[in-house]
Amino acid sequence: MTDPETRANDHTEGLSDATPGGFAKERRPGEVAFAVFLVLASLGLLWNAYGISGFRALSGAGSVPMATTAVMAVTSLLVLIRTAARPKVASETFGRDILPPTIIFVALLLVAYGVALRPLGFLPTSALFLIAAIKLLSRRSWVFTVTVALASLVVIWLVFRIVFTVLMPPGIVPEAEVIQILRNLTNRGG
Amino acid sequence: MDALLSFLTVFSQPELLLLVAIGTFAGVYVGAIPGLSVTMAVSILISFTFSWEVYPAISLMIGIYMGGVYGGSRTAILLNIPGAPSAIATALDGYPMAQRGEAGTAIGVTTVMSFFGGFLGIAFLAAAAPFVSDFALGFQPRDYLLLAVLGILLVGSLSTGSLVKGIFAGALGLAVGAVGMDPLTFTPRLTFDLPLLRGGISFIAVMIGMFGVSEALMQLHHVDTPAIKQKIGRIVPSWSTVRKHLPLSLQTSTIGVIIGALPGTGGDIAALMAYDHAKRVTKAPKVPFGQGAMEGLVAPETANNAAVGGAFIPMMTLGIPGDAVTAIMIGALFIHGLNPGPMLMIDQPDMFWFIVGALVTANCFMLLFGLTGIRLFTKIVEMPRAVLIPLIMLLSIVGAYAVNNSISDVYWMLGFGVFGYFMRLYGYPLGPVILGVILSRLLDENWRRAIISEREDLGRFFEGIVTSPLSLALFLGVILVFGSQTPIWTWVKRILTRRTEQP
Repeated sequence: MTDPETRANDHTEGLSDATPGGFAKERRPGEVAFAVFLVLASLGLLWNAYGISGFRALSGAGSVPMATTAVMAVTSLLVLIRTAARPKVASETFGRDILPPTIIFVALLLVAYGVALRPLGFLPTSALFLIAAIKLLSRRSWVFTVTVALASLVVIWLVFRIVFTVLMPPGIVPEAEVIQILRNLTNRGG
Repeated sequence: MDALLSFLTVFSQPELLLLVAIGTFAGVYVGAIPGLSVTMAVSILISFTFSWEVYPAISLMIGIYMGGVYGGSRTAILLNIPGAPSAIATALDGYPMAQRGEAGTAIGVTTVMSFFGGFLGIAFLAAAAPFVSDFALGFQPRDYLLLAVLGILLVGSLSTGSLVKGIFAGALGLAVGAVGMDPLTFTPRLTFDLPLLRGGISFIAVMIGMFGVSEALMQLHHVDTPAIKQKIGRIVPSWSTVRKHLPLSLQTSTIGVIIGALPGTGGDIAALMAYDHAKRVTKAPKVPFGQGAMEGLVAPETANNAAVGGAFIPMMTLGIPGDAVTAIMIGALFIHGLNPGPMLMIDQPDMFWFIVGALVTANCFMLLFGLTGIRLFTKIVEMPRAVLIPLIMLLSIVGAYAVNNSISDVYWMLGFGVFGYFMRLYGYPLGPVILGVILSRLLDENWRRAIISEREDLGRFFEGIVTSPLSLALFLGVILVFGSQTPIWTWVKRILTRRTEQP
C-alpha cells in the first residue's frame, strides 16, 4: 500500500499487519541477526518437540508440535536466506532506528518494575516507574512529572482496586488498612 | 420469541446498557488516541473483567470494539495519524479534507457511514450465523483442522507482508499454544524440563505483550511528535451527501463483512481493500483520490465497521476468530466457561442474540458519541505521548499480573513484548501469532481425532478429504492460498499469459 518510508513518517509502520514494518527490497540493521535467532530457536523447539513422542504415532502428543516447529524451522530458514541476500538500508543505523537508547532504557525500567513489584509493592514501584519514564520521555520539569505521575497513579489505583477489584502485591504499603479507613470515612459521611 | 427476548436483554437491563455506553465512549477515545488500540484495550480488559459475570464483561468489550474501530478515523482526519490500524486508509483522503477546512464534514460523513457499515455487518451476522452454525454441525474434525490452517494462512497472505513470515508467525503461535501438559496424554510438551513451563504460557500474557507493550515500545520512536490543532465546523452531513454514496457504501460494506468473516482478517485489512475497490469503481471522483475524495472516506469507514459484525460470524459459529479482537473475546468466553462453536449456538442461543443486541446498541451509541463531544475530544487527543506510553505499560503489567497473580506471567508478557517489537520492526505479522495461540488446542485435538478415526492411516485420511465436498473445497482453498504466493504461481501465470498472447 504505502512504501516503508512514508509509513515511518505517518506512524503507521508496524502498527498493524496491514502495514508491516521493514523494507520491501532492503534489510534493516540487525534483521539478519534476528532471522538467525529465529532459525536457532526454531531448531531448538523442533528438537524438543521430537523428544515428546518421536515418530511413534501420528496421533501422538508430539505430532502437531513437531509439525509446527518443523514449519517454523523451514520458514525461518527461508526468511534468513532471503534477508541475507538483500542489500543493507543505507540510511539506518542500529543504535538510532532499531534500538535507540530511549527504548533500551524503558525496557530496562520495565524489567526493574517486574523485579521490584513483589518486595516493594504496587504503589511505590508504579510511582517510581511512572516518574522515571515520564521524566525521561517528556523532559519536563520535576513538578510536572511528579504531579502527572502521582495523579494518574491514584486514578488507576482507584479504578482497578475498587471497580475491577484487582489485587496487586501490597509490599511495604499497608493497603488494606488504607482502604478500611476510606470505607469508614465514606460510611460515616453517608 | 426467545431470540427476541435475549436480543433485548441489553435494553432491559440499565446496568448492561450503561456498560455498553461506557465501553463505546471509551472505545471512541481508545481508538482515537494514537498509541492506544482496540486489541490492546480489549486484551488488557479481559484480565480485569474475568471476575465479572459474562454479560457485563462482554457488553464492555463490545462497546470498546465498536467504538474503537470508528474512533481511529478522528485522528486520521485531524492529525494524519491513524489512531487505530483500521483507520490507516481513512487518513489518505480524510487529512487532505481537513487541510481544506472540511474537517467537520469529513468527521460527519465518517460517523454516519461507520454507523451504516456497522449496521449492515450486524444484520449480516444475525441473518447468516444461524445457518452457518447449522451447517457447521456436519463438520468433521478434519474440516476444523483445515479451517484452522486456512485461517492462519489467510492472515499471512492478506496482510501486505510476506507469506513466509506470516506462516512462521502462525506456526510460532501454534507452538506457543502447545507448551505445557498435553491434555490427552499428560505428557509435558515443549517445556524444556522446566517446572515453570508445565502449566503452559498464559495466552493473555502473550496477547498483552504482543499488542500492548510491543506497540508502546514502537510508539517510543515517535514520542516527540507534537499534536496539531484543527478547526471544526458543521458535523452532521446533509442527506444528499449520504444518499449519493449509498451504492458505494453497500459494496464496501459487503467487502467489510466478507473480509471480517474470513478467519483472522479484520477491519484494518478490510478498510485497505475497500479503499482499493473504491478507487477502481469510482470513475470520475469530484476530487482525485489521495487529495480529499469523499469516496476515499466512505469506503474504508463502512468496511471496517461492517467487518466487526463479520468477525463474529466464524467466532460464534465455529469457534474460529474472525480477527484479533474476536480472538481475544474467545479467550474471554473460555475464561467464563463457555466454548464458542456450533454447540454454543444450539445450547445457548441467548448468548448469540445477546451479543447481536449489544452490537446494535454499541453501534447506536457510536453514532451518538460520534456526532457530539468534539470539543472534549480535541482536548483529550492532545495528551502527550510521553505520559501516555508509560501509562499503557503500567496497565499492561497490571493486566498480565492480575489474571493469575503471578510474576512469571509479567515476565512472559515483557518477553513477548520485546519479541513482538522486533517482529514489528522487521515486518513479521503479529495477527497469525495470536490466531495460532488461540487455535492451537482446536487444531491439535481435531488432528488427533481425525487421524485416530482413520486408524492412523494417512492414505485413508486423504481419501476422506477427497471424497467429502466440504473437506475438498477447504483443502483446495489451503493449496490455492499457499500456491498463489509461491514461485509456482508466477510460473503458471507466465505460461498462461504467454498462451493468451500467442493464440
